[in-house]
Amino acid sequence: MPRWKRLSPWPPGLGFAALALVAGLGLGSLGALLWQAREVHPAMLWQEPWLAAILRFTLWQATLSTLLSVGLAVPVALALARRPAFPGRGLLLRAMELSLVLPTLIGLFGLVAVHGRRGWASPLWEWLFGLEAGYLYGLSGIVLAHVFYNLPLSARLMLQALETAPAAQWRLAAQLGLSRVAIWRTLEWPRLASLLPRLAALVFTLCFTSFAIVMTLGGGPQSSTLEVAIYQSLKFDHDLALAALLALTQLTICLGLWLLALSRGGAPSLMVGSVRLPALGRWRRRDASGASRWVDAIWLLALVALLVPPLSAIVIAGLGGLPELPQASSLWPAAARSLVMALGAGLGALALALALLAGSRWLQRSGHAVLGLAMEGGGQLILVVPALVLGTGLFLLLRPALGSGWEGYALVVLVNALMALPFAMQVLRGALPGLTVPELRLADQLGVRGSARLRWLTWPRLRRPLALALAYAMTLSLGDFSVIALFGSPSAPTLPMLLYQQLGGYRWQGAAATALLLLAGVALVFAVLGGLTRRPPRPRWRP
Amino acid sequence: MNYSAVLGAVALSLAAGTATAGERSLTVYTYDSFVSEWGPGPAIEEAFEARCGGCDLRFVALDGGVDILQRLRLEGQDSGADLVLGLDMNLMAEARGLDLLAPHGADTSALDLPIEWDDETFLPYDWGHFAFVYDTEQIAEPPASLAELLEAPEDLKVILQDPRTSVTGQGLLLWIKHVYGDDAPEAWARLNERVLTVTNGWSQAYFSLFMNGEAPMVLSYATSPAYHMAVEESDRYQAAEFAEGHYLQVETAAMLRSSDEPELARDFLAFMLTPDFQRHIPLGNVMNPAIDLGAELPTVFERLIDPESLTFTPEAVHANRRAWIREWLNAAAR
Repeated sequence: MPRWKRLSPWPPGLGFAALALVAGLGLGSLGALLWQAREVHPAMLWQEPWLAAILRFTLWQATLSTLLSVGLAVPVALALARRPAFPGRGLLLRAMELSLVLPTLIGLFGLVAVHGRRGWASPLWEWLFGLEAGYLYGLSGIVLAHVFYNLPLSARLMLQALETAPAAQWRLAAQLGLSRVAIWRTLEWPRLASLLPRLAALVFTLCFTSFAIVMTLGGGPQSSTLEVAIYQSLKFDHDLALAALLALTQLTICLGLWLLALSRGGAPSLMVGSVRLPALGRWRRRDASGASRWVDAIWLLALVALLVPPLSAIVIAGLGGLPELPQASSLWPAAARSLVMALGAGLGALALALALLAGSRWLQRSGHAVLGLAMEGGGQLILVVPALVLGTGLFLLLRPALGSGWEGYALVVLVNALMALPFAMQVLRGALPGLTVPELRLADQLGVRGSARLRWLTWPRLRRPLALALAYAMTLSLGDFSVIALFGSPSAPTLPMLLYQQLGGYRWQGAAATALLLLAGVALVFAVLGGLTRRPPRPRWRP
Repeated sequence: MNYSAVLGAVALSLAAGTATAGERSLTVYTYDSFVSEWGPGPAIEEAFEARCGGCDLRFVALDGGVDILQRLRLEGQDSGADLVLGLDMNLMAEARGLDLLAPHGADTSALDLPIEWDDETFLPYDWGHFAFVYDTEQIAEPPASLAELLEAPEDLKVILQDPRTSVTGQGLLLWIKHVYGDDAPEAWARLNERVLTVTNGWSQAYFSLFMNGEAPMVLSYATSPAYHMAVEESDRYQAAEFAEGHYLQVETAAMLRSSDEPELARDFLAFMLTPDFQRHIPLGNVMNPAIDLGAELPTVFERLIDPESLTFTPEAVHANRRAWIREWLNAAAR
């Protein structure tokens, strides 16, 4: 057996440990609920006449939202990849990163300010259609909000996948003068094809479990999701058994979908290329001129129109509240606390993601394909377990130990890390395969092994995806309120908690300013992590 | 895979560092907005600690009254709380049923509520009526009764909250049921034509939508305008007074039988009905104080509406809530 094939026992070991943690917390909390409920009759599910209606609506809105978010993200990502250097491109990428991590309450504020009955877009709508702009309420509003949240994420991840195509391939495409269709077939589609099923599953899960958006924009109880039913049975009716059964239903549907996506995703290609960004400008793509300029411009303008007005509304409201900020004495400590917790959760998510991906890859290479897929799928588990079930279950499991001091925060950090895990895995997955077989062979022959291989071969390829994954994971927990609300907190708030407290005390201007600060923090995290890893290290050859 | 070992390790690591100093301490479960920098909590904590002489009052903030009840139910006999603060009348019957609470033993003669109060377990600390708050820049003459609201032109849109997920939403459910009884489904059907949307919580309705001018009316509290008048010095938002009366919310506190500091807990409950506690309620919690504050009551409170109070007994609410929610779902989901 050639040396490079000798597999280290570390990847599967760490992978299983990470899986045990994720599955233990996710399934353990569900189990605790079932155990506490004692009497569980699955027939309860069929006896609830509204369940079928809720399930139909949930599936319908999630499918529609996913198709639109992911489907429209494809031309947007292609346009972004084709235009590597237009003015404002960097800002647009930053804005795309912001939208995912907006707390829902703030995102809703921005969407309503733009698309509501009295919104900025309503005169345009009335002029076009002669009708009052009522499209924000009902299915159309739910889908619009989901697209606002998920299209930028999808396009961002697709762009990252497109950019991993080796520069040599782009150069060749330019030299051969490949047409639009040929570039799509040979370069773009293979990159996207391995990403799409998992991305669609991720977006579907996010839309399926959406709560505040569906209720606020749904118009009434006819638009309810399974999460609402779980909330009601757990909180108002204290029907633990029904809550656990509903959670199981959700788990089954979403995990089934993930399994399908994972098995369809195909083996990621091993052709991972140069670390350098494909400097497209130097090789003029034939498809980048002519009419395609206008088509790309339209797609990019559509993205700007979707993204920028609601974000501007939030920024404007926040600027109006800035004078109130210094009055909030808990603001800066809260910001610092949030940042530290986000860093912890981000690093945790990164470590878990690497462990699961490396373990999964090892298993797949050594012939345990199904086990490998299961390990990767396990990473998505926490996203599928309803937050309230997770919170109540963990509370039951850890109760004697769960005080209200720092251990509460530690638990929040852990759960946040687990919730950010699917995003981190999505970013890292394409980057991890790392070295091709010939490269490995060469490295072995040259004796580049161990830490040297990590330093000179693996790290340069991983640093950019790692930074993006860390940025997403950190900012997701920076903006998260749902988890911290589950466990109860001492009076020292995090930034999102502070925001909700301000609203509870009618300080909506101050809350808008806090939201602005949160956005600035998110942008800062992305900018710093992106900046730190922008240039690949220049190997210095010393004789 | 050994889940329990992992969880055990997590639990152990979490258990470290819970020990506290030896002084007398009192733990109060309450809701988030009560303890925030802008809520009444911090000032009340300071006032009580100055009074009890070297004790430590600790607030643990949960999401809302329902969560406090839920936490009590999950913790049972070995709850970490000495007191709970924030259960409203509609949660009292369920909380009493847990058999965890002790009589408050406080002198209730100072109480100044719109209704008689003789409960021996739950002690009120504030109250308010549910009401529709309207934007005077959008409507000059609000409906004068629920009946008028149901007959209003359909472009008079209102923003409601869901009774399954919010306290105000549940308030409207009881309000409609109290006024219309068996005709409630028809009333809901008619109201439905004027509903812009039904949000999951009050914050979404009030800030994401109403403050953005999306609809001229929102379901809220009769005391909401007090904040706008006193702090923002704006008369723009006012509550509409309805002739049928308004459903009343009374917020209460109670002590746990399992408390290690029953004396101190009783002291806190007695302290609750003194001006040192109550003066922080009107603008801190934006509710009416439970005692007569006299000249200390902010003047804007005299400009609020003063409607008739409607209430069901806590037992009636507990017994019927599920059925009434189902009735609403059938009438509103169409």
